[in-house]
Amino acid sequence: MSNLLDIRDLKLAFKGLSGLSEVLHGIDLSIAAGERVALVGESGSGKSVTARIILGLLQETPNARVSGEVEFDGRDITAMRPRDRARLRGTEMSMIFQDPTSSLNPTFTIACQFAEVMRRRDPRMKQAECDARATEMLTEVSIPDPERVLNAYPFQLSGGMNQRVMIAMALVNNPKLLLADEPGTALDVSVQAQTLRLMHDLVEMHHTAVLFISHNLGVVREFADRVYVIYRGRIVEEGPTDAIFHAPGHAYTRALMDAVPRITGAGLPEVPEVSDDFLAPMVRHDGGAA
Amino acid sequence: MSPVLRILSRRLGISVIVLIGVSMLIFAIARVIPGDPARIALGPNATDDQVAAIRAEMHLDEPIVAQYGYFVADVLRGDLGESLYTNRRVTTDIAEFLPATLELVIVAGFMMVAIGLPLGILAARHRGRWPDHVVRVLTLLTVSAPSFVWAVILMLLFSFYLPLFPVAGRLNDSYDIARTTGFLTVDTLLAGNFAAFIDALHHLILPAIALALSGIGQAARLTRANMVETYDKPYIEMAQAFGFFPSRIARRYAFKPSLIPSLTIIGLDFAAMLGNAFLVEAVFAWPGLSRYGVAVILRKDLNAIMGTVLVIALTFLVVNIIVDLLIAFLNPRIRHSTRATS
Ligand SMILES: Nc1ncnc2c1ncn2[C@@H]1O[C@H](COP(=O)(O)OP(=O)(O)OP(=O)(O)O)[C@@H](O)[C@H]1O
Ligand SMILES: [Mg+2]
Repeated sequence: MSNLLDIRDLKLAFKGLSGLSEVLHGIDLSIAAGERVALVGESGSGKSVTARIILGLLQETPNARVSGEVEFDGRDITAMRPRDRARLRGTEMSMIFQDPTSSLNPTFTIACQFAEVMRRRDPRMKQAECDARATEMLTEVSIPDPERVLNAYPFQLSGGMNQRVMIAMALVNNPKLLLADEPGTALDVSVQAQTLRLMHDLVEMHHTAVLFISHNLGVVREFADRVYVIYRGRIVEEGPTDAIFHAPGHAYTRALMDAVPRITGAGLPEVPEVSDDFLAPMVRHDGGAA
Repeated sequence: MSPVLRILSRRLGISVIVLIGVSMLIFAIARVIPGDPARIALGPNATDDQVAAIRAEMHLDEPIVAQYGYFVADVLRGDLGESLYTNRRVTTDIAEFLPATLELVIVAGFMMVAIGLPLGILAARHRGRWPDHVVRVLTLLTVSAPSFVWAVILMLLFSFYLPLFPVAGRLNDSYDIARTTGFLTVDTLLAGNFAAFIDALHHLILPAIALALSGIGQAARLTRANMVETYDKPYIEMAQAFGFFPSRIARRYAFKPSLIPSLTIIGLDFAAMLGNAFLVEAVFAWPGLSRYGVAVILRKDLNAIMGTVLVIALTFLVVNIIVDLLIAFLNPRIRHSTRATS
């Protein structure tokens, strides 16, 4: 079967003062259409850079060296011209971030920012049409008074409200893939859990595939169909969420699980000290969609 | 009361206090300078009676507090008294000389914004690459010399060695333009004399550039610095993730939010041009308020000194109020300083 996203042998190195430093050492990862996949690992393991490569942003960073294949919807992103890559962003794929309030432009109203996003798909859309569609989307993310929110600036809304706005914005153009980089970790625990459930229902309804990035296995369990565990730029375990939780095969996965049994709002998991077991070969559980 | 009105009224209140303070200070200082203003004005041949008459007319023999009282009473009636130097009303003198200075400062301020900001945006957008380096070197050069030094350099280069621009003055004597606003670029157009307008511009360009250069450099460097900082904000990454064009991101996501902190300083730089204009005017023999100001100080012309200082302080305060209003307009946090419940 053909996947929406296929990453094969993805390598990344940054050119720095002391030569090349390798960050990704050949990652394979795939997501089927409409599938929710999690990428889990400790801080600095290479989760965000993977997302930035899928978006085509790191390829344009002068000191980054990217190799390998990233096939999105049948086309190799790494081989594309920068313009064509940019055309996919905000239309075919979109992203939501850790801190919703600081991820929105502080000097424009929500309505204005919605319109900007919608005009990525259709530059001729009038403000009134944009507002109507935005109101629809805001209702979908259970915002009770969309008009007030549309006329507000991000600083006038709560973090949870901005999080919903950001989810609505990311989905308004019906992207095929949503990248969620530790969404809402900056929010408090109950708000975070609530918006994650909301996001789960929405992407299911719209049949949007998600790459869900987290350092927290507890959150992932609620959200994802399938999990990749990443450790220092290598995938160490991959499989359906249930399989991984019932029979974690890799020492690092087990350590991660012991460290974070539940949703936490702040801080990084207490990642156990490095052990030689963590460098053991990758464990693959069968029965995944890939 | 709306936040903008609140800012405006507070600023106006502060301005009144500043004006009172400045006037008291200058009033006292001017009277401490040695020399009898009446004697200086009348010359060594005047009789003591004549001097005494003037002193009485100006209340110079009364206590300084009483003198200040007379002064305030006159100012409130819009009367700045008579200049002992020109023998005209001080208000008439100021109306004659201020427009020349304002014209110079406004054009220089316009250059500062119209050239400085785009240079800063260009550098920030290409930060770390060659356009950035070029802008940084050039602007470092412009800010490293004060404007009267630039005035001398520009005049030597473009009036003497390359005689492209006139050396002095505001307009060629062959033109006779009716005075309406005192701004020659406006008056020549009102008179429908296009050749004179071009000539006025021709005279204006070099002194305006000299006055603007360091401001352009400062505005560019400030804009760049604040924008580069803004480029690290999460909403920039979000904008990139949505695939907006880099030029759009530069304008709407990096420049606009970063303009708010820049604007205060740019406003101060603009106001500071009023002071620098004095030296530039001296170099280019520009018939503005500076010549008048220097002349009246040397002659201890008390009324004229007070008038000149008050007008300059007032202009300074007006610029500050305009900047504050602009910031309030740009910054939704100020415009909507009541937090909506959510
Ligand atoms: N622009 C860059 N230049 C140099 N090194 C970078 C750059 N971006 C990321 N790195 C390095 O790449 C590694 C992976 O970073 P990444 O941001 O993907 O981590 P992460 O898994 O998302 O961690 P976190 O949970 O803290 O967000 C880190 O060691 C980081 O220092
Ligand atoms: Mg990250």
